[in-house]
Amino acid sequence: MITTEAKHDNLSMSDNYLNHTKGIKSWLFTLDHKRIGMMYLICILLAFLLGGIFAMLIRFHLLTPDGALMTQDQYNQAFTVHGAVMVFLVIIPAVPAALGNFVLPIMLGAKDVAFPRLNLFSWWLWILGLVFFLISLGTGGVDTGWTFYTPYSIDKASSMGGVIPALIGAFVLGFSSIFTGMNFIVTIHRLRPVGMTWFRMPLFLWGTYATAIIQVLATPVIGITLLLLIVERSFGIGIFDPALGGDPVLYQHFFWFYSHPAVYIMILPAMGIVSELIAVHSHRHIFGYKFIAYSSIAIAMFGFLVWGHHMFTSGQSQLVNIIFSLITFSVSIPSAIKVFNWLATLYKGSISLNTPMLYGLSFIFIFGIGGLTGLYCATLNTDVHLHDSYFIVAHFHYVMMGSALIGFIGGIHHWWPKMTGKMYNEAWGRFACVLVFVGFNVTFFTQFMMGSRGMPRRYATYQPEFQTYHVISTIGSTIMALGFVITAIYLLHSVFKGKKAPRNPWGGRSLEWQCSSPPPWDNFAEQPEVGDCYDFSVLVWNEEEQGYDWRKDAVHPGE
Amino acid sequence: MIETILYSLLSNVPPTDNGTFWLPRSASTVAENIDFTFELINWICYFFFAVIVVAMVLFCIKYRRKSPNMTCDGPTHNTALELTWTIAPLLLVVVIFTVGMRGYLDLREAPEGCYEVQVTGQKWSWTFNHPEFGATQVGELTVPVGKPVRLLMTSNDVLHSVWIPDFRVKMDVIPGRYTSLWFEATKVGDYQLNCTEYCGKDHSKMLAKVHVIPVDEFDATMIKLASEYEDMSRAELPAYAINRLYNRCVSCHSLDGSSGTGPSFNGLWDRVKVGQVKFTSGEALSSLLGDATEYGEPENYIRESILNPQKHIVQGYLGSMPSFQGQLKEKQITAMIEMFKHLDELTDANGNITVNKDGTPTE
Ligand code: HEC
Ligand SMILES: [Cu+2]
Ligand SMILES: [Cu+2]
Repeated sequence: MITTEAKHDNLSMSDNYLNHTKGIKSWLFTLDHKRIGMMYLICILLAFLLGGIFAMLIRFHLLTPDGALMTQDQYNQAFTVHGAVMVFLVIIPAVPAALGNFVLPIMLGAKDVAFPRLNLFSWWLWILGLVFFLISLGTGGVDTGWTFYTPYSIDKASSMGGVIPALIGAFVLGFSSIFTGMNFIVTIHRLRPVGMTWFRMPLFLWGTYATAIIQVLATPVIGITLLLLIVERSFGIGIFDPALGGDPVLYQHFFWFYSHPAVYIMILPAMGIVSELIAVHSHRHIFGYKFIAYSSIAIAMFGFLVWGHHMFTSGQSQLVNIIFSLITFSVSIPSAIKVFNWLATLYKGSISLNTPMLYGLSFIFIFGIGGLTGLYCATLNTDVHLHDSYFIVAHFHYVMMGSALIGFIGGIHHWWPKMTGKMYNEAWGRFACVLVFVGFNVTFFTQFMMGSRGMPRRYATYQPEFQTYHVISTIGSTIMALGFVITAIYLLHSVFKGKKAPRNPWGGRSLEWQCSSPPPWDNFAEQPEVGDCYDFSVLVWNEEEQGYDWRKDAVHPGE
Repeated sequence: MIETILYSLLSNVPPTDNGTFWLPRSASTVAENIDFTFELINWICYFFFAVIVVAMVLFCIKYRRKSPNMTCDGPTHNTALELTWTIAPLLLVVVIFTVGMRGYLDLREAPEGCYEVQVTGQKWSWTFNHPEFGATQVGELTVPVGKPVRLLMTSNDVLHSVWIPDFRVKMDVIPGRYTSLWFEATKVGDYQLNCTEYCGKDHSKMLAKVHVIPVDEFDATMIKLASEYEDMSRAELPAYAINRLYNRCVSCHSLDGSSGTGPSFNGLWDRVKVGQVKFTSGEALSSLLGDATEYGEPENYIRESILNPQKHIVQGYLGSMPSFQGQLKEKQITAMIEMFKHLDELTDANGNITVNKDGTPTE
């Protein structure tokens, strides 16, 4: 056994997935899941930069009550582009398509995903979606908000000219997401090697599996809805337009039937990452594996039944509102279970406060607030007051950015040594994480306060009484932006100048830590052994390598 | 039961006039209940958040890594414990749900004998009709204190939403159907009303003020409002129109000559008088003016532009002007036409209004 690992290490010097073949084409048309994952990662981070620039524009515009930077129309475009880019191009694909693609097959012990060609096609669809978004900016822009609510979005006299390309973009991105989901479901069902039973899978796989189910079942609905919108806007068929006998509120049902589950497409895989981060970096068997695994599936299922909570003031019937409110509360239970299980995992652990762990802990803190504030939104009478205010803006940023994106960034740091074969600067990593954490909370906590005190969302101008909150919020966002810039710098620096990463720098036990860093072209020279992926007792610290090895006397599973 | 106990525990913090840390001042009968629910959830959240953070920080200090070697052997699960933290939150959320639902039913169920106001949302202004008095207000709504008021609302174009934070009420305003909202104001004063469903360019300027006035002043105020223009002489009409009617047009028509969604009112009368308007059909207004033509007098064109704007669309614009049929009385249309004729006397070079409604100059 020991000899196999030594062999891996020798291999890694010469041949790995990064240098196995050369040239730009060997990347753009690669069928290797690791390369596709890396291409996703690069593109998604660039899209994150784009969405982030618009976010900063919005924040600086709101420094003064009359708006400091833009015209009303420009502001409306800015928040639309920010939202659409961040949701469709960044957060939805971030964890599954970028990290999932890279990690999932290796964690599972497979050589690739089930359909490598489809996987590549998904990535190209993502690029196509991006192209359509850019076209929409060039053809008059979009000012509908990322929600494309009717009848505003179908009324050519009201909304701007770029709506149709933007809709096509979102449609195409939907298919990219569906294909990724299909691929993962089949991979997890069919490509598990001997010994990898369902309940031996790392929790990240449970998270991506639950996500994939939602991607496959919910995304087609938004596809059809967007098509209907396109047809209606182009040919004036009355589906959603009341002037033509349509029903504008019907659109909201269709939209949220997808977009609520989409929130779980964003958060579930991030929760999966956090389960890995917490366990690995406290060297401690995850507490309550089955509860966490089942709660992912439960969230995915309940997620389909709660879309109406976005419509408590839309004029839908009181009875319907009451039912949706009730079911919505049920989602809070599996979320609470996860948080308590993570905390219990810390208990009696050996906690290293390194960068990935700091992100993991930030996640628990921020998701704590994001989840708890969900209670105010699920409760009928308080939501009537809070709906469409900055309270909601703050709530979903706590969940989508502060949780999903922070989980993603934590995952990037966790698997960075594996993906690039390099170590980043740990001190800068921690410093940047603290900046992001503080900046995030300063930015969005103030938004809870101004929201419940009466600040409506999507306002380019506002009452002077809210200025103090807005100024604090903008200061926070600047701190956060600084944190991200520093992160970009030290990560890029590590690619060129970083120390070589050991095979297993953190003491991870899942299979990806058994192959070299970066992994060889076909992941495993020989079939790895599957054991309890949270049993860390078989690992031992190797001072020379600055990483972990198998303990010589450890009993190997299967032996 | 639970509600009353919890209530007596929590309600010892009376909101000041500026409201609390979290909520604005409360000025309607339903606000109290919503604030109570809000406070209840607050305390539950404070508790759970404290538990999470304290546990996290304590564990991170107590169990921080001392050596890189693997030493841990904590429990991997504990079914009793896990069931506890599944079931305890479940019970709590059932309580929250129930409190919220009961509050919501009160919030939605309008009492008998409400004073009714018809609300029309239109990009980007609010029109309030008082059928009982035949009075119309734009951008402001006057209601009596201590009497339930029901707003029956619809939109002329896209979605809007009425939100009065101090009353804790909100309802979407939808084209092609009615939605409704009720409240009973508890304090005399002025309150902010916002549009809170995104509706395009000037969404953030689609605001109105709610004036809550004493009941005994209400009837007199409304009667005066309903008929103020009826007894006016022709000379008084322009000042009335620019102060009371122009706010329905301001979102699309400027006074300073810059064109917006519609052409500026600045110089409009000079153009129309001589027929210097081109339509998208290629026709010119000049051919429709004069003896035995469609309009005859230029005033008729303006009247038609207001009542039936789709008839002729001015070149360079979209036919997005709504009809004001039924919303403006004949005399009010006359007032608008007088306003166009005297616009120079009513505004300065920058398009600022320079006279008050009673004709006195603004300071
Ligand atoms: C939603 C935007 C909108 C509002 C509100 C609006 N208009 Fe218009 N208006 C337009 C547009 C666009 C045009 C040009 C197209 C057309 O002729 O219909 C126009 C044209 C006109 C014209 C003809 C102008 C010309 O140069 O011939 C008149 C007169 C007019 N509006 C009066 C009014 C009055 C009076 C009000 C308020 C009571 C008002 N409008 C409110 C959009 C609006
Ligand atoms: Cu939702
Ligand atoms: Cu609006």
